[in-house]
Amino acid sequence: MTLLKHEIKMNLKSLLIWAVCVGFSCFGCLLLYKGLQDTVKQMADMYSGLGAFSAALGFDKISLATPEGYYATEIALIFAIGGAMFSAMTGAVMLSKEEEGHTVEFLNTLPFGRGYIVFRKYLALVVLILLFNTICILWVFAGFAGMGEMPPAKEFFIYHVAQLLMQLEVGSICFLLSAVCRRKQIGAALGFSILLYMMDVMCRIVPDIEGMKYITPYYFTNAADIFVSGSMDGLMAGISCGIIIASAVLTVFIYKKRNL
Amino acid sequence: MEKKTDKKYAIEIQGLTKTYGKNRGVENISLCVEEGDIFGFLGPNGAGKSTTIRSMLGLLHFQKGEIKLLRMNSEKQQKEILAKVGYMPSEAMFYPSMKAKEVIRFAADARETDCREEAERICDLLEVNKEKKIEELSLGNRKKVSIICAMQHKPKLLILDEPTSGLDPLMQEAFFKLILEYNRQGTTCFLSSHVLSEVKRYCKNAAIIREGKIIRTDSVENLSKSNLRRIKIWQQGGEREFSYTGDMKELIHKLEGMEFEDVLIEEPSLDELFMHYYEQ
Repeated sequence: MTLLKHEIKMNLKSLLIWAVCVGFSCFGCLLLYKGLQDTVKQMADMYSGLGAFSAALGFDKISLATPEGYYATEIALIFAIGGAMFSAMTGAVMLSKEEEGHTVEFLNTLPFGRGYIVFRKYLALVVLILLFNTICILWVFAGFAGMGEMPPAKEFFIYHVAQLLMQLEVGSICFLLSAVCRRKQIGAALGFSILLYMMDVMCRIVPDIEGMKYITPYYFTNAADIFVSGSMDGLMAGISCGIIIASAVLTVFIYKKRNL
Repeated sequence: MEKKTDKKYAIEIQGLTKTYGKNRGVENISLCVEEGDIFGFLGPNGAGKSTTIRSMLGLLHFQKGEIKLLRMNSEKQQKEILAKVGYMPSEAMFYPSMKAKEVIRFAADARETDCREEAERICDLLEVNKEKKIEELSLGNRKKVSIICAMQHKPKLLILDEPTSGLDPLMQEAFFKLILEYNRQGTTCFLSSHVLSEVKRYCKNAAIIREGKIIRTDSVENLSKSNLRRIKIWQQGGEREFSYTGDMKELIHKLEGMEFEDVLIEEPSLDELFMHYYEQ
C-alpha cells in the first residue's frame, strides 16, 4: 500500500485539475442546453444535412435537439477527449518520471522489487482513472439535474464503461511508453490521444480506411453509436482488453530487463 | 581480497563484467569484503566504481559474473538483500515536493519497519530540519536525509557512494561517528570515495579500481607501504624530482653513477601513492 498511496498522492493535484476542468466543462455545457434549446434545434437540422461530416460526428444517428442526443454528440466529445488525454498523460509519466527526476535509484534500492513497482504504479494509474471518471460523472449528474432531465440509465452506464475501457487502453499504452523512455513523454502521449480521435473521425468519413476502427478505441466507445444501439461492439471491446493486458505484461517485461 | 573459505563475507563479487554496448564498464572484477569490515573502494572518475555498486544493488544487469551480498545472490534475492542493505547514492535525489520527514517515513514504510526512534536520533545528531520540502534543501541537507534513509533501519550492510561530498567538516565528523557506531554493532561498510584521508582514517581494507579493473586489493596499511619512492636531486645549482618504483639496491646503484650535491629519498604521501596507482 505504501507505493500505491505515494503514487496517488503525487498525482492528486493533476487529477483534481483535469477532473475539475473536464467535469466542469461537461457540467457547464449541460446547463447551456435549456438556454440554447431553440438554437440547438436549428443546429440539429443544419448538421443532419452535412453528409459524411454528420456521420463522423454522429449527427446522422441521433438528434442534437434531444437531451441524450446533445449529451452523446457534444458533452461526450469533451469527456472522451479530456479523459483520453488525462489517462495518456498520467500513464506516460508513471515510470519515466523516476529516471527524469533521478529518483529511480532511491525507489529501486528500497525493498520493493521491480515487478512490484510496476504493478503498484499500474494500479495507481487505474485508481486515478477511476477517480477521474467518478468526479466527472458527478459533475455530469449535477448538469443533468440542473437541466431537470436524466440520461437513459442503461445507455449512460454502457457508454461510461466503454469510456473507462478506452482510457485504460490509452493509459496502458502510454504506461508502456514510460517504461521505455528515460524522459517524460507528455507531448507524445497527448498527441497520441488526439491522433486516435482523428483516426476515428477519418475512418468514419473515408470508407477505404474503415479498418482503422479496430485500432482506435474512440470508434467502439462512440456515444452516439452506444446511445442508439444500447450496446458496444464486443469484438472491439475484446481487442481493447487484449491491448491493455499485452501493454501491462510487456511493461513488466521491459522494466525488469532495463538498466536503471 | 583473496577469498578464503573460513571467513564470512558480506560482499562476494566473482568475475563481474558489465559493458554498455561497445563501451567499457567493468571487466572481470573479483572482490570480497569480510563481515564487519569498513572497506574503501577507490578509483578515478569513470573507473567503474558506480557500475560495480549499481550492479551490486540490481540497478544494472551485468553480462558475466556473480554477486553475493550477505550470502544472497544479487539477481535472485534482490528484495531480501535490499531489506538488509542501506544505500547512500552519490547524488541524493528525492521527490522535490515531499517534506524531508515524508521521504524518511516513505523509506521506513517501504521496509515495513518502525524506524521512528532511530530516525529521530540520527535527525537530532545531524541537525536535520524535517519540516522542509526537499526542493528547499541544499545538497548537504539532502545528503543528511539520504544518510537517515540509509541507516534508520539499522542495516547489516551499508553501501556508501561518495557519502561526504556536500557535507561540512563538522557533519563529516558526525557522519563517521555514526559509521563507526554501526560498525561496532556489526554493520559492514563499503565506502566508495575520492577522499583518501577518509579511507586512510576509517577503512581497514581497500580496493583500487582503474579502467574497469581492480588493480590492487589489500589492507590500507599495506597499500600505504610501497616500493615507490620520491627522489629529489640537487645538482649544478638546480633540482630534479622523479619517482622510482623497484628494487632499492638498483636505485642506490643508479644513484652511485650520478653526479649530485645532495639527494633526498622519501616515501610518498598516501595521496601521491594513489595517484601513482591511478596513473600506472
